[in-house]
Amino acid sequence: MLLKKLFRTLWRYKAQFISMVIMIALGVGVFLGFNMEWYSLERNTTEIYEATGFADYRIYSEKGFSEDDLRAVLAQDGVEDATRFLSVNTSVKGDTDVIALTVCENPAVSGMLVLEGEPYDAQSPDGIWLSDAYARANGLKLGDSLTLTYKTLEVTGTVRGLIKASEYLICLPDETQLMPDYTSYGFAYISPAMLDKAIPPMFRMLAGMSSMYFQINVKSGLSKEAFVEAADRALGKTLLVASKDETISWAEAQGEVEEGKTMGSILPVLFLAIAILTMVTTMHRITASEKTQIGTLKALGFRDRRILRHYAAYALIIGLIGTALGIGIGYLLAWYIMNPEGAMGTYIDMPSWTLYVPWFCWLVLILINVFLTVIGFLSVRKMLRGTAADALRPYAPKRMKHLKVEETKRFKALSFGTKWNLRDCLRHKSRTFMTLFGIVGCMVLLVGGLGMKDTADAFVDVFFDKANNYAVKINLDTESVTERDVERLLAAYEGDWTAQRAVQIGDDSYGLEIYGITHDRVRFADEAMRLIPLRDDGVYVSGRIAKALGLKVGDSLTFSPYGGDEHYTVTVAGMLCSLSESVVMTGAYAERAGIPYTVSAIFTDHTDIATDPHILNTQTKQAVMDSFGTFMNLMNTMIWLLVLAAVILGIVVLYNLGVMSYTERYREMATLKVVGFKNSRIARLLIGQNLWLSVLGIAVGLPAGIGVLQYLLGALASEYEMKLALGPATFLVSILLTLLVSLLVGLMVARKNRRIDMVAALKTEE
Amino acid sequence: MSIVEFRDVSRIYRNGDHVQKALDHVDLTLEEGKFIVVLGQSGAGKSTLLNLLGGLDSPTEGTIVVDGKDISTLTPNELADYRAATVGFVFQSYNLIPTLTVIENVALVKEIAPNPLSSHDMLEAVGLYDHIHNFPSELSGGEQQRVSIARALAKNPRILLCDEPTGALDSETGVMVLKLLLSMARDMGKTIIIVTHNQNIARMADVVVRVKNGRIQSCEEQENPLSVEEVDW
Repeated sequence: MLLKKLFRTLWRYKAQFISMVIMIALGVGVFLGFNMEWYSLERNTTEIYEATGFADYRIYSEKGFSEDDLRAVLAQDGVEDATRFLSVNTSVKGDTDVIALTVCENPAVSGMLVLEGEPYDAQSPDGIWLSDAYARANGLKLGDSLTLTYKTLEVTGTVRGLIKASEYLICLPDETQLMPDYTSYGFAYISPAMLDKAIPPMFRMLAGMSSMYFQINVKSGLSKEAFVEAADRALGKTLLVASKDETISWAEAQGEVEEGKTMGSILPVLFLAIAILTMVTTMHRITASEKTQIGTLKALGFRDRRILRHYAAYALIIGLIGTALGIGIGYLLAWYIMNPEGAMGTYIDMPSWTLYVPWFCWLVLILINVFLTVIGFLSVRKMLRGTAADALRPYAPKRMKHLKVEETKRFKALSFGTKWNLRDCLRHKSRTFMTLFGIVGCMVLLVGGLGMKDTADAFVDVFFDKANNYAVKINLDTESVTERDVERLLAAYEGDWTAQRAVQIGDDSYGLEIYGITHDRVRFADEAMRLIPLRDDGVYVSGRIAKALGLKVGDSLTFSPYGGDEHYTVTVAGMLCSLSESVVMTGAYAERAGIPYTVSAIFTDHTDIATDPHILNTQTKQAVMDSFGTFMNLMNTMIWLLVLAAVILGIVVLYNLGVMSYTERYREMATLKVVGFKNSRIARLLIGQNLWLSVLGIAVGLPAGIGVLQYLLGALASEYEMKLALGPATFLVSILLTLLVSLLVGLMVARKNRRIDMVAALKTEE
Repeated sequence: MSIVEFRDVSRIYRNGDHVQKALDHVDLTLEEGKFIVVLGQSGAGKSTLLNLLGGLDSPTEGTIVVDGKDISTLTPNELADYRAATVGFVFQSYNLIPTLTVIENVALVKEIAPNPLSSHDMLEAVGLYDHIHNFPSELSGGEQQRVSIARALAKNPRILLCDEPTGALDSETGVMVLKLLLSMARDMGKTIIIVTHNQNIARMADVVVRVKNGRIQSCEEQENPLSVEEVDW
């Protein structure tokens, strides 16, 4: 019989019941979804790293490594496995596409995962194992012939297999691009045998290279410091060593995981907290309005334990249904962010997109349900206190107390409606607090979401639109280009130039960028995102380098260029907000400091670039901007999801509390109706309270939202040097949307007062 | 002069197949300025009669004319205006707003009544001037009922409708409240209509209306009603 009562009571409080289920489902869904996203990404990337033997270290040499070098490295303690490795950007013959041609002697390190076609054959004379994403984007299939060109060399082969490789997990041609574009850039593996055939020893000898393998990729559990020592010992000279943290395919993927963890640790937790607090308040209110029934059961002879069990079951049922739905929402949300066809799929090229739930999420879900049941239990226990007669008395809200403020003339002059609403808020503090909390939460999510978009928009605007003030970037062949060639090209294209190389500062490698700016084609932004000219009296470092090395303006900085033993000490002239972690200086300063360089690219406004033996390829600014379109889409998806969640959260929390307030004030409203108040007037009173609380919630939520955003940007600073930017539209939309939600819910609740049964309401005992 | 006229009024409640005639073809005329008691057993239809007269409910059939105006066809908003201007209500369970003080509970009618009286005067009249800044929960039952009467009177209504006004009070407090209501009729010329099942209250009425099974059983004028003190409580 009690079971029947259980279901009928659930039906009686269906509005509260449904809103609690929605809140729990949303809270659990968002919490689970965001945490599943980063955890699944971590697991799936780990799978491909392990399956393809992602290297822990890469040793670079411009001269190439011999077999003896490899043997020496392998002989070092702590080196588990190693391979000679080549990755070079080649052009697809008859096309503008670029393919990173890869050769790996030992596929157990930096190898590939063949998804379709023949297994990799290290002796294959003409086999090409091509990136499946590139093949799909360009309509290539197994058996197709492909010719790749590098300078005067040509490699022709047949596509034998379609693959994925962890070395190209995030397949970007260079650091200026944020998103892979498989229609124009991909990767392919060929066998060492085919490489030998394509590049005759004579050519290598003429080019002064001992081998074509410019890298040794190593699997090793050693620390970077220990590994650098081991490499120095093995190879007898200081070479550039990059750990996996310095590669895009590891650092960016881990960055995504960290970003997911950061996102997952703030907003979903806020969501979950609101859901649980709403549940606590609502459970208390329901048991309060059930007090007479609780008393009746007690008076009838039901034991306290039985009654407690009965009512705790409500909370448990709500928790379980909400959790079950939340798990569904979580999977949906995680799938939406993390699926091969979605935005993440365009960024990370991995074979498996299985969704995993982190173990702590299951624990949290269990704890939530236990907590909710305990809340139900405690709420009822409070009602059961004392004798059966005590329990039978209806729940009496707190008695009104006089406040100091009531003595003031200003308070006395307030209208009846204002006093009524003000005292109601004070009398029902938990309900008021929850309403405020809901509005603040809604506001924080809106400001956080929209502010993130503003910040990213400002970032793209400064960095990629204003800073890149050119139409075309001409990449030069640094191995063949001479100073005279550069001067000729600069004059022909009225361009600015850059020379880029890698440097080591301590054990870490960074980029060194030298610029010659005479046509304002490239600009630089300081830490406040203002465009500044480069001075000739020092170097500029990116904010991340400054933070990592504790540098400030005027400090000295010593670095050693990659491949050389020279050390240069320079003065820090300023900080830059930069996409890459680089040391930046002018050509004039480089010359004064005696730093040698070779111009590697020219930035020009000319779009018609003639064929030249020293030009490797060209890249339009539009292509770079387009790659951002995809990046921005990924961000926009997350932001619209947040905005949608914020609006749903606002509606559900406010509606639930609005209905609660309506139920608790039902009798008062009936009295007002009897006295002669019109429905519209009562509706205005109800909406008024909602709007006041909304204004207060907005006043608190706005700075709180900015604070959360600031925290998020701080947490993401290791990946993006973004500066908080909030447009007036964000303020306006956040405020108006919150007010609109409040007004909408106020109207929904206020409509109910037309149905107040004055006679029935006033007959009941208070 | 008649102030209330029920002409062939019925109120039927339907709940699925179940039909309940709360009032069945009632005709009734009441004079202004009288102290009227409507008597009847529980379920007789007396509260329905009061609710229809108070504009809380509308008849299924028939016409109700109050002060020359047909209130049976009014819209919800017009009924609200009618309640604000013409009738005052006093309930058994007081129905005060717990979050407003005594003076605020009374003064709130100023927001809607066209010709309200001074809240202070009304509270003085019911003998609660010293408690005007208390909240209802700080008063006794009798005091709360007196606030409820003051609130009803502050609208300056022609008719005061009281549904078991002493039902929740002890006899001593009940007497005090009845005395107050009687003085409203005698001194202020208000028409007081009290619905009760207490036969004793009927003995002090100018007019006694008896209701049974949804019909008016009798409507008698008492030539010599007793004073409150004379009634045996």
